[in-house]
Amino acid sequence: MMFEIEIFTKKGFKNLRGEHILSDICGLSIENITRVEYSPLYVVDGDMSFSETEMIASEVLIDKITESYVIRQCDTECCSRVISESFDVKETDRLNLDFSVIEVWYKKGVTDTVSESVVKAVKDLGLIKEIKVKNGHKYYLYGEILQVTLNNVATRLLANTLIQEYKIH
Amino acid sequence: MKCTARCETIKILNLSDEELFELSRKNVLSMSLEEMRVIQNYFKKLKREPTDVEIETIAQTWSEHCKHKTLTGAVEYTEEKDGEKTKRTYNNLLGETIFKASVELDKPWCLSIFKDNAGIIEFDSENGVAFKVETHNHPSALEPYGGSATGVGGVIRDILGVGLGAKPLASTDVFCFGDPDIEISKVPEGVHHPKRIIKGVVSGVRDYGNRIGIPTVNGTVYFDDGYISNPLVYCGTMGIIPKNKIDKKIESGDLVLVVGGKTGRDGIHGATFSSIQLDKESDVSAVQIGNPIIEKKVLDTMIKARDLNLYRAVTDCGAGGLSSAVGELGEKTGAVVYLDKVPLKYNGLCPWEIWISEAQERMVFAVPPRNIEKIIEIFEKENVEAVCIGEFTDDKKLTLMYDNDIVASMDMEFLHNGVPKPIKSAFYKMKEEKVQKPVEMSSFEVSNSLNSLLADLNICSKEWIVRQYDHEVQGQTVIKPLQGNNIEISGPGDAAVIFPYTVVKGTKKGIVLSNGLNPQYGKINPYNMAASAIEESLRNAVAVGADIRRISILDNFCWGNPNHPEILGSLVQAMEACYDISKAFEVPFISGKDSLHNEYSINGKKYSIPSTLLISAMGIIENVENTVTMSLKKDGNKIFVLGITRNELGGSVFSKIRNIEGGIVPGVYHRESKDIMEKIYSAMSENLIEACHDCSEGGIVVAVSEMAFSANKGVKVDIDAIKIYSYLEERCRSGREMTPAEILFSESNGRFIVEVEPDNEEKFKKILDGSIFSEVGYVSDDKEVIFESKKNNVKIRQNSEILLNSWRNTINW
Amino acid sequence: MKKIRVLILRTAGTNCDYETQSAFELCGAIAERVHINTLIERKDKIFEYDILAFPGGFSYGDDIASGKILANEVKNKLGDEVKKYALSGRPIIGICNGFQVLVKIGLLPDPELFKQISTLSYNDSDKFECRWVYLKTEKKIKNESSCIWTKNLPDIISLPVAHGEGKFIPMNEKFLDNLNKNNQIVFRYSLKDGSEPEYPLAPNGSTEQIAGICNKKGNIFGLMPHPERYVFALQHPAREGFNSKYGWGKVIFQNAVNFVS
Repeated sequence: MMFEIEIFTKKGFKNLRGEHILSDICGLSIENITRVEYSPLYVVDGDMSFSETEMIASEVLIDKITESYVIRQCDTECCSRVISESFDVKETDRLNLDFSVIEVWYKKGVTDTVSESVVKAVKDLGLIKEIKVKNGHKYYLYGEILQVTLNNVATRLLANTLIQEYKIH
Repeated sequence: MKCTARCETIKILNLSDEELFELSRKNVLSMSLEEMRVIQNYFKKLKREPTDVEIETIAQTWSEHCKHKTLTGAVEYTEEKDGEKTKRTYNNLLGETIFKASVELDKPWCLSIFKDNAGIIEFDSENGVAFKVETHNHPSALEPYGGSATGVGGVIRDILGVGLGAKPLASTDVFCFGDPDIEISKVPEGVHHPKRIIKGVVSGVRDYGNRIGIPTVNGTVYFDDGYISNPLVYCGTMGIIPKNKIDKKIESGDLVLVVGGKTGRDGIHGATFSSIQLDKESDVSAVQIGNPIIEKKVLDTMIKARDLNLYRAVTDCGAGGLSSAVGELGEKTGAVVYLDKVPLKYNGLCPWEIWISEAQERMVFAVPPRNIEKIIEIFEKENVEAVCIGEFTDDKKLTLMYDNDIVASMDMEFLHNGVPKPIKSAFYKMKEEKVQKPVEMSSFEVSNSLNSLLADLNICSKEWIVRQYDHEVQGQTVIKPLQGNNIEISGPGDAAVIFPYTVVKGTKKGIVLSNGLNPQYGKINPYNMAASAIEESLRNAVAVGADIRRISILDNFCWGNPNHPEILGSLVQAMEACYDISKAFEVPFISGKDSLHNEYSINGKKYSIPSTLLISAMGIIENVENTVTMSLKKDGNKIFVLGITRNELGGSVFSKIRNIEGGIVPGVYHRESKDIMEKIYSAMSENLIEACHDCSEGGIVVAVSEMAFSANKGVKVDIDAIKIYSYLEERCRSGREMTPAEILFSESNGRFIVEVEPDNEEKFKKILDGSIFSEVGYVSDDKEVIFESKKNNVKIRQNSEILLNSWRNTINW
Repeated sequence: MKKIRVLILRTAGTNCDYETQSAFELCGAIAERVHINTLIERKDKIFEYDILAFPGGFSYGDDIASGKILANEVKNKLGDEVKKYALSGRPIIGICNGFQVLVKIGLLPDPELFKQISTLSYNDSDKFECRWVYLKTEKKIKNESSCIWTKNLPDIISLPVAHGEGKFIPMNEKFLDNLNKNNQIVFRYSLKDGSEPEYPLAPNGSTEQIAGICNKKGNIFGLMPHPERYVFALQHPAREGFNSKYGWGKVIFQNAVNFVS
């Protein structure tokens, strides 16, 4: 099974990386973007059950005080179906707002130290199974934003296309 | 020779010159036609075609990055002065300049110079200290974060790989960037905006250095539009090594052990790539990402293995990967390596890729067979991968195996000494320097200029960068990069001092690190740029308490394309200056590195960087308690200017911001200057000096202001009391006296600002007797920084807090 | 007199272990740097030591979050031993990354609960910060001596901080009230005169300027600043200290050594 785990900053805590990106966006004289939120993404691929994945999310990947998570089940290319939300995340909260999403992932073969560390931590949890982990970054950009602007933000700030690829949706 | 499916034979025996050259270009080998011909001849003698592994191995070993063909090659040099041309031939440019100076100086405390991964000097009777500075320019241009991080990781491995391994104590970082405020539309296509590069480079250094736990204690950042397309990233590391661990010796039968990271396709062609101009479609695999934690684990474990004498030699995998590391270690013996045993990150690598990959965090050890189990146990106990991949032989050949097939077999002699030495021509035309028109300014204008200078990118506070680096990890940084009398305010220190008390128990000694760099001077006068850079690095070290008799220096040349005679000519000028100044100050070079070909072409137009020489200094301090900082200490103390002020505004920051034409580039007057440096050390040994600051960019007015605002104090300086050179002196002949602005902003070398307590004044003056110096003012209890010339009716008065704010608000992202 | 033995627990990415060792040695103890794998091999070895230290660094690169992976490892592999050790009353110190580990294991603020109820999150500046700060040592703590580590300190001391994730956040108001009520807040960032600081002397935006806390009993102490980097006056930016030679950080280590002596 393959699951995608997205980490959210809980309400009431600052999404610092998002704020930082927003100020960098302003530095590029790009307007219209009013807010940025950042979420780390992890794809766990291997022989993990759903409940084991939930344990990985809650014990290893989140900070219990400031963060929560959503787990999605992945088909080969697409991770869409939400199958678990920690109690204070509601993806539906965003639905009334204008926003775009940029996801950034390392290209194949590029060293990804965070993923290697997650694999170690999962083993320490007592889950002795062969898994692959991928670590990515998800940015929610709020406002009415043109595609060309999104591309600009992605290539000038968020991704170095030499080693990373990005998706806009 | 048999080849597996993963290894190809390259047909070169019957290729024409054009085809040979095309082969080199197509496969990113960066080899000249002449080199390709030598290879062709070698294999003609062997009566067979080479394999791809062999061709790649030769390309790596012969690369500019590994062999430094230009610097150690022959140069036909022509110099033109006043219409007359003189010629000189160098058989080995480095050998006849920098290296020669060190050989002639023959300092007994130089323990290992120009032969290992780093230079080593004596620290005390038991230990030596090693220092190395590297560049990582091209990767940092393409992937600033990964490029600078692996730059740090790489130079740390140089220190781990010197002798039998030194323990790193501190790092230095020097960067050259384009203007961070440039409009995005003016940035050439395919180039990252300077601000993105800066942020990426700083984060890369931060994340690697902080994680591995080596304090980044010294550095500088230099801005010039010439670096927009091609930033420079210099990384240095200093480490400590027991004297009895300095020599490597390999015996036939020793095993080849590769330790640390796994091998992937990262950084294939890094070594040859660094000799290629950057263009829009630069090779993807040239970019590498580092993992500092793996390197930290290697550090932790290898020092343990070193102290148990479990291996006979070690070196790092840098440019050229295993091919360089094993090649170097086995040069005298020969080696056989089983490439299929090398641990891989993923499957699918060809033998030649395994052999030349520049995957990070790997070290190669030569281990006697009896110790192999024990050493592997030490590594594995802390989760460090260690795999035996071959052995050192006695056949003086390099043999590479893959799945029981021989995929390469070449003579070490050919590999290491077969490269044809190119002969390059160099030309330099001396530029005439003239004193600028008298700079007449009102008090108000001088005041304004002072604030602009403090806010200038090349003078302003780099606190935003410095505080992101953990410059105090290991607890040994006793002279810090930012200095003040309390913890709220600080100014720019001249140098850093490490007190290695956790490694050398009971020691009182310290190690000082500093640097000198001024590319602006080089645009007018490369000789004096190099001379000034050396002197500045020495001044910086002396200012915190170093003994000039125990300082060594490192050179790092970043130049444009050396195939242009003018560019190579300026390099010759700089290297001649290195010889002269090293000899004059009796300060030996112990190591160095060059990065040539710093050029970038867009739409056929070539951009080249300003010729840039970084000098890094390392010295030993007898007693760290005698070191001083640059902030003023006490009201009523006296201020002295040591050294003489000449009319030298050429290439100065003041000339740049005021658009002043002409001007003479500061020269080095070693007799005056060395004498003062020695006396400062004597005075500091008797604790007669409260604060000391080097006088360089921005001149006296900036140096004094920095000393005042970092202490939140005032100061009063009488401009008329500053010793200036008689206008009859030849180089600065102008037939006139200097104006107050010229005195304040001139960047003459050899000067220090010193604070002395009134009670110590007599003793201090006695030590300085015979040198040129003068008392110019005193520390005051208000916060007013005042410079006054009654003779010229000029008075500058500025609040030190306002000056502080001018200085620290430029880079504050 | 019996020599005091200190266990300095290290792993991949620990990088303040040598200076922490030196600091304890300066106070007359025998301090050993022990790799976590060695301890996992023989778990009860931990009870051979009088003091346990979690030094600073970037354990496992601080990948995911600071101290997270080491905390997870300690809890799953050495949880019982470490809890027993903590409840035995022996001194435990966590400095910087070590503090992050103690908080994420749940040894602080309450080792009996042994659950994470507070965190050290990203600095408000979103940057790594290396600088000296002033710390106010809480008077009550000093007089009532609940924290064994911080006796005999002046009201205000300075120490260097070097971290990117040092913002202390308790799970809720109730836990914060308990910390205050039980005198568990040992150090707060302050100005030189003891008043409330702003950035940068408040380096991370911590709740109530909290820089260090202890458990109720006072044997377990965690702090973001680095006392091991200030054992000599020479290490201070202006070379201040006591007895013209030592730095105030030394007192912290001396207190623990004296306590178990």
